[in-house]
Amino acid sequence: MTSAAHPVASDITATKTPRQRTGPSRAVPPKAGPREPARRARRIPGFVWALPPVAVLALVFLYPLALVVQQSVSPDEGGTSIAPYGDVFASESFRSALTTTVWLAVGSTAGCLVLGFVLAMIIAFVPFPGGRAVAKFIDVFLSFPSFLITLALLFIYGNVGMANGVWTDITGAADGPFDFLTTPWGVLLAEITYFTPFVMRPLLAAFSQLDSAQLEVASSLGAKPARIVRQVILPEALPALAAGGSLVLVMCLNEFGIVLFTGAKGVTTLPMLVYSKAILESDYPAACVVAVVNIAISVGLYSLYRMVSRRVGA
Amino acid sequence: MLVHSRTGKWATWSVFFVLFVPLFAVPLLVILAASFTTNWSGAFPSGPTTEHYVAATGGDSLQALTTSLITAVSASLLALTIGSWAALAAASMRRRGRRFLDALFMLPVAVPSVVVGLAVLVAFSKPPMLLNGTRWIVILAHTILVTAFAYSSVSAAIVRLDPMYEQAAASLGARPGYVLWRIKLPLLLPSLTAAAGLCFALSMGELSATMMLYPPDWTPLPVQIFAATDRGSLFTGAAVAVVLMGTTLLVLLGVSKIRTRASYR
Amino acid sequence: MTGGERSVRSGIRFDQVSVVYGQNTVLDRLDLTVEPGEVMALLGPSGSGKTTALRAVAGFVQPASGRVHLGDRDVTGLPPHKRGIGMVVQQYALFPHMRVQDNVAFGLKARKVAKAEIPERVAEALEMVGMAAYAKRYPRELSGGQQQRVAIARALAIRPGVLLLDEPLSALDAQLRSGMLAELARLHRELPDVSILYVTHDQVEALTLADRIAVMDKARLQDCGTPQDLYRRPRTEFTASFVGNANLLPVTVTEGADSVDFAGRALDVPTGDVTRGATATLCVRPHLVGLGDGPNALSGTIAEVQWRGSTHRLYVDIDGHRVKADLKELRETPALGDRVTLHFAAEDAVLLPAGAAPGTGGGADD
Repeated sequence: MTSAAHPVASDITATKTPRQRTGPSRAVPPKAGPREPARRARRIPGFVWALPPVAVLALVFLYPLALVVQQSVSPDEGGTSIAPYGDVFASESFRSALTTTVWLAVGSTAGCLVLGFVLAMIIAFVPFPGGRAVAKFIDVFLSFPSFLITLALLFIYGNVGMANGVWTDITGAADGPFDFLTTPWGVLLAEITYFTPFVMRPLLAAFSQLDSAQLEVASSLGAKPARIVRQVILPEALPALAAGGSLVLVMCLNEFGIVLFTGAKGVTTLPMLVYSKAILESDYPAACVVAVVNIAISVGLYSLYRMVSRRVGA
Repeated sequence: MLVHSRTGKWATWSVFFVLFVPLFAVPLLVILAASFTTNWSGAFPSGPTTEHYVAATGGDSLQALTTSLITAVSASLLALTIGSWAALAAASMRRRGRRFLDALFMLPVAVPSVVVGLAVLVAFSKPPMLLNGTRWIVILAHTILVTAFAYSSVSAAIVRLDPMYEQAAASLGARPGYVLWRIKLPLLLPSLTAAAGLCFALSMGELSATMMLYPPDWTPLPVQIFAATDRGSLFTGAAVAVVLMGTTLLVLLGVSKIRTRASYR
Repeated sequence: MTGGERSVRSGIRFDQVSVVYGQNTVLDRLDLTVEPGEVMALLGPSGSGKTTALRAVAGFVQPASGRVHLGDRDVTGLPPHKRGIGMVVQQYALFPHMRVQDNVAFGLKARKVAKAEIPERVAEALEMVGMAAYAKRYPRELSGGQQQRVAIARALAIRPGVLLLDEPLSALDAQLRSGMLAELARLHRELPDVSILYVTHDQVEALTLADRIAVMDKARLQDCGTPQDLYRRPRTEFTASFVGNANLLPVTVTEGADSVDFAGRALDVPTGDVTRGATATLCVRPHLVGLGDGPNALSGTIAEVQWRGSTHRLYVDIDGHRVKADLKELRETPALGDRVTLHFAAEDAVLLPAGAAPGTGGGADD
């Protein structure tokens, strides 16, 4: 079932050859080698073959995106102006959505990194029977949609959910104390839960490359576990953490299902704002403006992620 | 390896399970339990029932399941075709062309799905390409969203493919087309099926773009689940969610079976 | 464990140490003492328990029973980082993200050696292995042999009383290996107080380097003694075949003094205290077998001839038993099927009390 592996999470590791540690020197594995020879003989240059899929993508993806950008500068009154940007930037709803989106994404990412690092480290370095099953479970987890987490949290922490039910049963109070689901904290919890596996996968792959003898030698030299984690494991994990973290940051910025299912009026993120402007208010120019801002942030961060993961993988 | 004493190990494992079980295992179990429940306002669910499944596998929900399956299968196949083609073409290009294609085909991952939905909505709501209101607009959006994943899986597999086979075939006189058909594609088959499974799973769970686009007669499962929970039928929503998870798992399992067989070759 | 400690003469003592994984006993009641300053080789095939014994000293495996002592300290329950042991493993395990000097300094920092003292001790350790010029390099910029030296320097920098070497040369090619063997011998002369436990499956390494060799097989200590002692007077069939790949022939001790019966032939061999009439195993080293008539002559047919540069190895079938003989390069090589006579001197043979059938040893046929 490893197939369910999210390739974005796995492409960090995919380019690494599996465990190249037969020789004493960690020689760089031979690169895949020149891949032209078979094609060179052809008259048709290589890029021609790339044209059909590129054309399809351009038509169904790039062209629509361009239209979004165009719409964002075409106010309802007609003409071309950047007035819609001014209007949107000035609105309170946009500003608060932007702040909420950013702090939720940053907070979730930080949470995922810490939690993912701790969990992956235990799976890798304090192995226990069933550890492989847990790793499998994480792969499966990645193949489910995010909103299921919010749905589950509704049963656990919702107004009439388990936690509050237990509380009212015990204390006899009319209401339970758990009322954070419809606040940003509920979204934060759901995002940390859902996205932590995205940090764990590249970390587990990185850890499997780390020679466990290094840990043993380190402790024989007198290093306590904390020092080993800090000085031996963490440096090896940093690239994977950076790659996993920036991926999760982008995904959190773009997350929609979790926020939608929370059903909270108080939690509006940029994707949520795009949805409500376009579908609920039919205010397309405004929706397009928010969309362009969202694209700018996400694509910028995503380029960063690609750069980081290229350095890790290649 | 990091902790050597027995007590230390047990302490570490306890920390692991205290974090892992409530965060990851419990939510899925809760959904499963809730789908068989009529009432859950205490510690444990009560009133075991399979009634929700009657609702979840009949009428609208059954329609939604079919809708989701058709959408996911079509989108996966389309995405796999476009993605693999692009990945194979990229592999035969020089470094700069390859990086350009990489950037281009991975772009849909970076763009928020809601925005992809909006863009598709804007572009295909007017002639000559009037798809709004039809199922095709949903399938189209799903295809765009999962193509990136097909592309990245397949190109990662191509990088790992030993060029030795290709060169051996070429030295034996095989033309590039023949090498592609008889050598590369069969060797890539496991990765292609894996990519297909992944695209399928992602499409089954796609909600963001779908919410922007779905016509009333084409509501996939996630929309159905949202509709159920939105009107307060949490337990029915849970049952539909279980159907969604189960279908996804079954298909992934089938795909991994095919993959194992293919990789023995 | 503060700075400036000199290595303490400590030695290692295994006291009935058993290690169990699930149902598997991988080390069975090991009793062994390594004297301070002694080089002890743990020799055995893979899966014999030798590495487990080493890891029990380092603290990476917990004995199911028994105690491990370093000097007069019982360290059985002590975590690895409190044991003060230097360790070098097969793949060196240098930290890839640290320069050579930081690798060597790692243990010193971990043990909170005074900052001012560290550079000096790093230099000293690198000097000792001849790697001082490479202090600023990263491990990946070094050859296998150089990485090996750094790994040794890193282990020595903390001035351990005990040095554990786990197959340290097995990743090197043959030529480098003999060079490193000499190097290790020199290092030990320079550090006479350090006890070394050297795990290997290579008898040459063990014979060259060790003061004493402990032979392990099937989770148990089979034999222990000086290299000469083990080679000349093995006490078990396993030792005889694993160390030096001896000929093992099933014999019966006859009533006469110092005489045995081998497939109907009487051979003169010192029988020592083996009971008259008992079955036993006769052990003769291949290089002590001569060609032609002589005392204890045995004739048979040539089954195989191997030329090994300076020697010829003959395999001779004698009544269904295959006898190996290493002979100085022969002018005229016998052909397959030729009848030849072999002989050996009575004092070159060792009689082992009855055990399992001969030839069960796991020794590599070299």
